[in-house]
Amino acid sequence: MDESEDVPKDFIKLKSEKLSVAEVSELVSSPCCGAVSLFIGTTRNNFEGKKVIHLEYEAYTSMAENEIKKICRDVRQKWPSVKHIAVHHRLGVVPITEASVIIAVSSPHRAESLEAVTYCINTLKACVPIWKKEMYEDEYSWKENKECFWANSVK
Amino acid sequence: GGERLCAPQVSVLYFARSAELAGLRSETLRVPRRLTALQLWDEIVRAHPRLAVIQDQVVFAVQQEYVALGDQLLVLQPGDEVAIIPPISGG
Repeated sequence: MDESEDVPKDFIKLKSEKLSVAEVSELVSSPCCGAVSLFIGTTRNNFEGKKVIHLEYEAYTSMAENEIKKICRDVRQKWPSVKHIAVHHRLGVVPITEASVIIAVSSPHRAESLEAVTYCINTLKACVPIWKKEMYEDEYSWKENKECFWANSVK
Repeated sequence: GGERLCAPQVSVLYFARSAELAGLRSETLRVPRRLTALQLWDEIVRAHPRLAVIQDQVVFAVQQEYVALGDQLLVLQPGDEVAIIPPISGG
Protein backbone atom coordinates (compact mmCIF):
# COMPACT_ATOMS: atom_id res chain seq x y z
CA MET A 1 0.00 0.00 0.00
CA ASP A 2 1.23 3.49 -0.86
CA GLU A 3 1.74 5.06 2.59
CA SER A 4 0.84 8.53 1.35
CA GLU A 5 -2.72 7.29 0.77
CA ASP A 6 -3.15 6.46 4.46
CA VAL A 7 -3.58 10.08 5.56
CA PRO A 8 -6.09 10.65 8.37
CA LYS A 9 -9.61 10.92 6.96
CA ASP A 10 -13.06 11.85 8.20
CA PHE A 11 -15.95 9.91 6.68
CA ILE A 12 -19.23 11.74 7.30
CA LYS A 13 -22.50 10.59 5.80
CA LEU A 14 -26.18 11.35 6.39
CA LYS A 15 -28.34 8.91 4.44
CA SER A 16 -31.78 7.33 4.37
CA GLU A 17 -30.60 3.81 3.58
CA LYS A 18 -29.87 1.19 6.26
CA LEU A 19 -26.49 1.73 7.96
CA SER A 20 -23.80 -0.95 7.82
CA VAL A 21 -21.46 -1.69 10.72
CA ALA A 22 -19.17 -3.66 8.40
CA GLU A 23 -18.93 -0.77 5.97
CA VAL A 24 -18.21 1.83 8.65
CA SER A 25 -15.59 -0.37 10.36
CA GLU A 26 -13.88 -0.98 7.05
CA LEU A 27 -13.72 2.76 6.31
CA VAL A 28 -11.55 3.47 9.35
CA SER A 29 -9.32 0.40 9.18
CA SER A 30 -5.63 1.17 8.71
CA PRO A 31 -2.43 -0.88 8.76
CA CYS A 32 -0.93 1.41 11.42
CA CYS A 33 -3.87 1.01 13.79
CA GLY A 34 -4.27 -1.72 16.36
CA ALA A 35 -7.66 -0.49 17.52
CA VAL A 36 -11.02 0.31 15.95
CA SER A 37 -13.68 1.48 18.42
CA LEU A 38 -17.35 1.62 17.49
CA PHE A 39 -20.56 3.11 18.82
CA ILE A 40 -23.92 2.00 17.41
CA GLY A 41 -27.09 3.90 18.40
CA THR A 42 -30.21 1.78 17.90
CA THR A 43 -33.90 2.48 18.31
CA ARG A 44 -35.68 1.18 21.41
CA ASN A 45 -39.23 -0.16 21.23
CA ASN A 46 -40.57 1.67 24.26
CA PHE A 47 -40.58 5.05 26.01
CA GLU A 48 -42.31 5.69 29.38
CA GLY A 49 -44.58 2.71 28.91
CA LYS A 50 -45.59 3.67 25.37
CA LYS A 51 -44.86 1.36 22.47
CA VAL A 52 -42.60 2.98 19.89
CA ILE A 53 -43.60 2.04 16.35
CA HIS A 54 -40.59 3.61 14.64
CA LEU A 55 -38.39 6.72 14.67
CA GLU A 56 -38.14 9.43 12.04
CA TYR A 57 -35.07 11.64 11.73
CA GLU A 58 -34.66 14.93 9.91
CA ALA A 59 -31.60 17.14 9.65
CA TYR A 60 -30.36 20.57 8.67
CA THR A 61 -28.06 18.59 6.45
CA SER A 62 -25.39 21.09 5.43
CA MET A 63 -24.99 22.43 8.97
CA ALA A 64 -25.08 18.94 10.48
CA GLU A 65 -22.21 17.86 8.23
CA ASN A 66 -20.27 20.98 9.20
CA GLU A 67 -20.87 20.43 12.92
CA ILE A 68 -19.70 16.82 12.59
CA LYS A 69 -16.58 18.08 10.77
CA LYS A 70 -15.94 20.39 13.76
CA ILE A 71 -16.29 17.40 16.11
CA CYS A 72 -13.73 15.48 14.04
CA ARG A 73 -11.36 18.45 14.18
CA ASP A 74 -11.75 18.61 17.96
CA VAL A 75 -11.10 14.86 18.25
CA ARG A 76 -7.83 15.22 16.34
CA GLN A 77 -6.73 18.07 18.62
CA LYS A 78 -7.53 16.12 21.79
CA TRP A 79 -6.25 12.73 20.59
CA PRO A 80 -3.57 13.40 17.93
CA SER A 81 -2.89 9.71 17.37
CA VAL A 82 -6.43 9.09 16.05
CA LYS A 83 -6.23 7.99 12.44
CA HIS A 84 -9.65 7.79 10.76
CA ILE A 85 -13.08 8.84 11.97
CA ALA A 86 -16.41 7.74 10.48
CA VAL A 87 -19.81 9.13 11.47
CA HIS A 88 -22.84 7.75 9.63
CA HIS A 89 -26.30 8.95 10.66
CA ARG A 90 -29.55 7.70 9.20
CA LEU A 91 -32.34 10.04 8.14
CA GLY A 92 -36.02 9.36 7.53
CA VAL A 93 -37.80 6.33 9.00
CA VAL A 94 -35.70 3.98 11.16
CA PRO A 95 -37.44 0.76 12.25
CA ILE A 96 -37.06 -0.62 15.79
CA THR A 97 -33.68 -2.27 16.53
CA GLU A 98 -32.04 -0.81 13.42
CA ALA A 99 -29.10 1.58 13.79
CA SER A 100 -29.67 5.34 13.75
CA VAL A 101 -26.02 6.24 14.07
CA ILE A 102 -22.67 4.46 13.78
CA ILE A 103 -19.41 6.08 14.87
CA ALA A 104 -16.03 4.40 14.31
CA VAL A 105 -12.55 5.63 15.20
CA SER A 106 -9.19 3.99 14.58
CA SER A 107 -5.94 4.60 16.47
CA PRO A 108 -2.67 2.75 17.06
CA HIS A 109 -3.65 1.87 20.63
CA ARG A 110 -7.11 1.40 22.13
CA ALA A 111 -7.33 4.17 24.74
CA GLU A 112 -7.54 7.01 22.23
CA SER A 113 -10.15 5.47 19.93
CA LEU A 114 -12.34 4.43 22.88
CA GLU A 115 -12.25 7.95 24.35
CA ALA A 116 -12.72 9.59 20.96
CA VAL A 117 -15.85 7.56 20.16
CA THR A 118 -17.37 8.56 23.51
CA TYR A 119 -16.56 12.21 22.84
CA CYS A 120 -18.07 12.01 19.34
CA ILE A 121 -21.46 10.64 20.35
CA ASN A 122 -21.75 12.92 23.39
CA THR A 123 -20.88 16.02 21.37
CA LEU A 124 -23.10 14.98 18.46
CA LYS A 125 -26.04 14.80 20.84
CA ALA A 126 -25.25 18.29 22.15
CA CYS A 127 -24.46 20.16 18.93
CA VAL A 128 -25.53 18.57 15.65
CA PRO A 129 -28.84 19.83 14.15
CA ILE A 130 -30.64 16.51 13.73
CA TRP A 131 -34.15 15.85 15.13
CA LYS A 132 -35.87 12.62 16.08
CA LYS A 133 -39.62 12.06 16.09
CA GLU A 134 -40.84 9.03 18.06
CA MET A 135 -44.00 7.50 16.59
CA TYR A 136 -46.29 5.77 19.11
CA GLU A 137 -49.56 4.00 18.39
CA ASP A 138 -51.81 7.04 18.77
CA GLU A 139 -49.46 10.01 18.81
CA TYR A 140 -45.90 11.15 18.25
CA SER A 141 -43.30 13.18 20.11
CA TRP A 142 -40.34 15.31 19.07
CA LYS A 143 -37.51 14.18 21.33
CA GLU A 144 -35.05 16.52 23.03
CA ASN A 145 -31.55 15.39 24.03
CA LYS A 146 -30.66 16.32 27.60
CA GLU A 147 -27.26 17.20 26.13
CA CYS A 148 -28.78 19.92 23.92
CA PHE A 149 -26.80 22.90 25.08
CA TRP A 150 -29.63 25.43 24.90
CA ALA A 151 -32.73 23.40 25.79
CA ASN A 152 -31.72 23.29 29.43
CA SER A 153 -30.36 26.81 29.74
CA VAL A 154 -33.30 28.73 28.30
CA LYS A 155 -35.98 27.07 30.43
CA GLY B 1 -34.47 55.59 5.70
CA GLY B 2 -31.22 53.97 4.59
CA GLU B 3 -31.81 50.81 6.62
CA ARG B 4 -35.09 50.04 4.88
CA LEU B 5 -33.65 50.55 1.37
CA CYS B 6 -30.98 48.01 2.22
CA ALA B 7 -33.38 45.46 3.77
CA PRO B 8 -32.05 42.12 2.48
CA GLN B 9 -34.03 39.05 1.48
CA VAL B 10 -32.91 36.16 3.64
CA SER B 11 -33.70 32.46 3.45
CA VAL B 12 -35.56 31.16 6.51
CA LEU B 13 -35.50 27.41 7.16
CA TYR B 14 -37.87 25.64 9.54
CA PHE B 15 -37.19 22.27 11.15
CA ALA B 16 -39.05 19.71 13.29
CA ARG B 17 -41.73 21.27 15.48
CA SER B 18 -41.12 24.76 14.08
CA ALA B 19 -41.86 23.47 10.55
CA GLU B 20 -45.13 21.98 11.81
CA LEU B 21 -46.15 25.22 13.52
CA ALA B 22 -45.15 27.48 10.61
CA GLY B 23 -46.68 25.09 8.08
CA LEU B 24 -43.67 25.24 5.79
CA ARG B 25 -40.02 24.24 5.53
CA SER B 26 -38.52 27.33 3.92
CA GLU B 27 -39.26 30.78 2.58
CA THR B 28 -37.59 34.07 1.78
CA LEU B 29 -38.27 37.02 4.06
CA ARG B 30 -37.26 40.66 3.73
CA VAL B 31 -35.90 41.85 7.06
CA PRO B 32 -33.96 44.88 8.34
CA ARG B 33 -30.24 44.62 7.63
CA ARG B 34 -29.23 45.22 11.26
CA LEU B 35 -31.33 43.87 14.08
CA THR B 36 -31.00 41.84 17.26
CA ALA B 37 -31.71 38.11 17.21
CA LEU B 38 -34.82 38.72 19.29
CA GLN B 39 -36.05 41.34 16.82
CA LEU B 40 -35.52 38.86 13.99
CA TRP B 41 -37.59 36.32 15.93
CA ASP B 42 -40.36 38.92 16.33
CA GLU B 43 -40.35 39.45 12.52
CA ILE B 44 -40.73 35.72 11.97
CA VAL B 45 -43.49 35.34 14.58
CA ARG B 46 -45.31 38.26 12.95
CA ALA B 47 -45.41 36.13 9.77
CA HIS B 48 -46.22 32.88 11.63
CA PRO B 49 -47.93 33.61 14.98
CA ARG B 50 -48.18 29.92 15.93
CA LEU B 51 -44.41 29.87 16.43
CA ALA B 52 -44.78 31.98 19.58
CA VAL B 53 -45.35 28.88 21.73
CA ILE B 54 -41.80 27.61 21.16
CA GLN B 55 -39.96 30.88 21.78
CA ASP B 56 -38.41 29.55 25.01
CA GLN B 57 -37.04 26.45 23.35
CA VAL B 58 -35.46 27.53 20.09
CA VAL B 59 -32.24 29.13 18.92
CA PHE B 60 -31.30 30.42 15.48
CA ALA B 61 -28.58 29.25 13.19
CA VAL B 62 -27.46 32.27 11.12
CA GLN B 63 -25.10 31.24 8.31
CA GLN B 64 -24.81 27.96 10.21
CA GLU B 65 -23.64 29.47 13.51
CA TYR B 66 -25.90 29.10 16.54
CA VAL B 67 -27.33 32.38 17.91
CA ALA B 68 -29.57 32.61 20.98
CA LEU B 69 -32.78 34.65 20.80
CA GLY B 70 -31.36 37.66 22.59
CA ASP B 71 -29.54 40.95 22.20
CA GLN B 72 -26.81 39.81 19.82
CA LEU B 73 -26.73 42.21 16.86
CA LEU B 74 -27.03 40.56 13.47
CA VAL B 75 -25.87 42.20 10.23
CA LEU B 76 -27.59 40.31 7.42
CA GLN B 77 -26.62 40.10 3.75
CA PRO B 78 -28.96 39.21 0.87
CA GLY B 79 -29.25 35.44 0.61
CA ASP B 80 -28.10 34.76 4.19
CA GLU B 81 -29.53 31.56 5.67
CA VAL B 82 -31.44 31.74 8.96
CA ALA B 83 -32.69 28.48 10.47
CA ILE B 84 -35.09 27.95 13.38
CA ILE B 85 -33.51 25.27 15.58
CA PRO B 86 -35.77 23.49 18.10
CA PRO B 87 -34.05 21.33 20.77
CA ILE B 88 -32.03 18.71 18.93
CA SER B 89 -32.26 14.93 19.24
CA GLY B 90 -29.67 13.34 16.98
CA GLY B 91 -27.69 10.24 17.77
